[in-house]
Amino acid sequence: MSTDLSHFKDAFFEESQEHLTTIEEGLLQLEQRPGDIDLLNRIFRGAHSIKGNSGMFGFSAVSQFTHKMESVLDQLRSSQMVVTVDITDLLLQSLDCLKTLIDCARTGASPDEAQVEALGARLDACQGGTATGQQRTGSTASLHAQAPDMHRYTITWMPPEYLFQRGLDPVQFIKELGGLGTVTRLTLDAGRLPALAELNPELCYLGWTLNLDTAKDLTVIEAVFDFVREDSTLTIVDNPVETHTSAVASEGTKPLGEILVETGVVSQSQLNQALSQQKKVGEILVEQKVATPEQITEALKKQSEIAAPTKKAETPSIRVDTVKIDRLINLVGELVITQSMLSDLGSRFEMSQLPVLLERVAQLERNTREIQERVMGIRMVPIGNAFSRFPRLVRDLSGKAGKKIQLILSGEETELDKTVIESIGDPLTHLVRNSADHGLEPPDERLAAGKPEQGIIRLNAFHEGGSICITVEDDGRGLNREKILAKGVKQGLIAESDKLSDEQIWMLIFKPGFSTAEKVTDVSGRGVGMDVVKRNIEGLGGTVSIKTVTGKGTTFTLKLPLTLAIIEGMTVRVGQDTYIVPLLSILESIQPKREMLKTIVGKGELVNVRGTYLPLMRLYDVFQLEPELSDPTKAILLILETEGERVAVMVDEILGQQQVVIKSMEQNFRKIEGVAGATILGDGTVGFILDVRGLLNIARQGTAKAA
Amino acid sequence: MATQELTSKDSNQQIGSTTDGSQFLTFQLGDELYGVDILRVQEIKGYTAVTRIPNTPAHIKGVLNLRGTIVPIVELRTKFGMPTIEYTMFTVIVVVVVKEKIMGLVVDAVSDVLDIDKKDIQPAPQFGAQVDVSFLNGIGKAGDKLVALLDMDKLLTDGDMHEAEKAAA
Repeated sequence: MSTDLSHFKDAFFEESQEHLTTIEEGLLQLEQRPGDIDLLNRIFRGAHSIKGNSGMFGFSAVSQFTHKMESVLDQLRSSQMVVTVDITDLLLQSLDCLKTLIDCARTGASPDEAQVEALGARLDACQGGTATGQQRTGSTASLHAQAPDMHRYTITWMPPEYLFQRGLDPVQFIKELGGLGTVTRLTLDAGRLPALAELNPELCYLGWTLNLDTAKDLTVIEAVFDFVREDSTLTIVDNPVETHTSAVASEGTKPLGEILVETGVVSQSQLNQALSQQKKVGEILVEQKVATPEQITEALKKQSEIAAPTKKAETPSIRVDTVKIDRLINLVGELVITQSMLSDLGSRFEMSQLPVLLERVAQLERNTREIQERVMGIRMVPIGNAFSRFPRLVRDLSGKAGKKIQLILSGEETELDKTVIESIGDPLTHLVRNSADHGLEPPDERLAAGKPEQGIIRLNAFHEGGSICITVEDDGRGLNREKILAKGVKQGLIAESDKLSDEQIWMLIFKPGFSTAEKVTDVSGRGVGMDVVKRNIEGLGGTVSIKTVTGKGTTFTLKLPLTLAIIEGMTVRVGQDTYIVPLLSILESIQPKREMLKTIVGKGELVNVRGTYLPLMRLYDVFQLEPELSDPTKAILLILETEGERVAVMVDEILGQQQVVIKSMEQNFRKIEGVAGATILGDGTVGFILDVRGLLNIARQGTAKAA
Repeated sequence: MATQELTSKDSNQQIGSTTDGSQFLTFQLGDELYGVDILRVQEIKGYTAVTRIPNTPAHIKGVLNLRGTIVPIVELRTKFGMPTIEYTMFTVIVVVVVKEKIMGLVVDAVSDVLDIDKKDIQPAPQFGAQVDVSFLNGIGKAGDKLVALLDMDKLLTDGDMHEAEKAAA
């Protein structure tokens, strides 16, 4: 594989990602506007591009699969078929599968062929109008490189009782199995059927046992039951019709024997003989002296090489508007002009020209600042990219929860640092899930409360001051003050006598393990999500706040810094050294009075801040510096908070507040405990940005050592 | 046995890292002359005050702002266990690139760029436990001068850059 080609491949994967997004968005809109030919054309074009490009790079699995999707889309486009929920469902599932296939092509991993084939069959069946597997095209078979061995599977299936409630039909499963081969025997198991008086028509009591003759792998059969697997009683017995040694489902790894035969070390018959003894193939071959241990080791190595997913490092890249680049080029041009004017002036400088010099230096400054801003801007991408996954998510969630949910996105064009965008995806997903699952009421409850049946989740992004706000808003039931309070007391997070403001109460839901949900669903309710949200957002230097009105809805507001490269910091001094404390972690600063200070076991210092005792940490102790002041009552205590923990850090003096550009320490050195990064101060020297978490760790280790 | 092993390793490294650059930048530490492969040297700059890094070994002097990049500075005297001296106008920082990382070395003075023939380089002698010569590539002769040739990779990676990982492990 030449490097050139792999370079184009990267472009292909990136482009495919865009096409996939287009298709997904299109499919979701298609549900609202089934007759929109423009939309269908757009989806079709996306699929067609993927097909063409993947074919060019030899990802035949991708192109073949896309071809099937395309055929279905083509029929929709030419009005030979109508868009139904079933079809969009199928297409969306296929899209997911396509994503996996493309990912596999990128990483070199082997895809789940069973799933691919099952979906491929369904796509074929969908356009043919019949569900028979015999019509399977040659391309599907070629996905499966193995020679077809006939199997007779005995499948015993007792579906879960809720089968019908999930909108599933057992007949569909049997038909689908029929599509995979020939069903030779089908028996009904009605043993679970209760007396007529107790019979609930909404539950499924029946089970089936059937024999299926097919060339497919066990995994293909199992894939049919993927959706009901969890709660079903399912046994599939494989009775190979022809005893063949390689009947074991291949998991993408070639059997050792095959490799040995291929490399010419042994012949097929020798291999079969060895296999019939049911020992380790390698050992037997060595015993029989047909292969040397070295050859076996070599082959085993080869096997593990094939098995190991050849994960290629994904080079992060960014797409930039040409307009942005053009502006940058213009600015660089200006900079060059300014520079030549300056050097011209410098070569024949006289004191009388001083004002000119100052003017040009000012111009240089302006140019530099502008370039800096623009270059920062290159890292900024519209947040729409992070939002694009939510229409699909909400669609799936509304189906699962049986709620009608409308998702309204706004402010997609708001630009944010790429790294931030990548990191807020998960927290946002948690919040949206949370709103859909807990926030919004079921339709009947909504109607009873005099609200429209359809709930609304609103995602919005906008600039506010130097930061970005992202809001996740629902018009659901709102947070329940009493319930949260009761739960908080029960879990020992707060005392019953505590007087808490609403704000403080809402913050309880971010505590680990906190959940008021009566039942845990697979969507949410386990009480892990919100705590992760808060942690992630704080990790990015942001904050989360909640506004809620009972019965009217809840709004989560995430406030994030525009970029991770610049933070708002407080410069402090200890002796000769200057440190920067991230402003976000500072709660307040105080100068304690003597009576506020207490010690424990003679060493551990505590300071009483309005009734709460906080550990006192002398920064010069932690960092082994020479302080100017060692008396806390003369020095300044900064009350810092990180991940809910508070600590008072003692410094000599607060110098001021400023924006600092974070520079990496790891680039040329390594991580330093207690230091989050470095920055360049006004006088050109380096200052360190404190990492509050790290400071706490050092302090703890220190005490541990002392003890 | 150990000697033999070291010798063969050293000669390998000569092939790997110094044959191409038979030019060496030499500098002084006290009366001794040291050399680094000239291709490793990015620049030489006068000594300016550095910012101390908390909780690091003594030979890591601090960090410096080198045109916007944070560069760690190593006090070579301390690293070699020599007594520290007052900095003079000759004290300079030799900025070197080690495994794509930029670092600065504080030395007493830079002296010269010398061509040293491969045949004039002999393996570093062994002094036993008192004198650690593992970071030497060999000893070069240039006229009547003796130059201790430093193996940058060993000198600046083993103890300094990876300490954090070592401590964590």
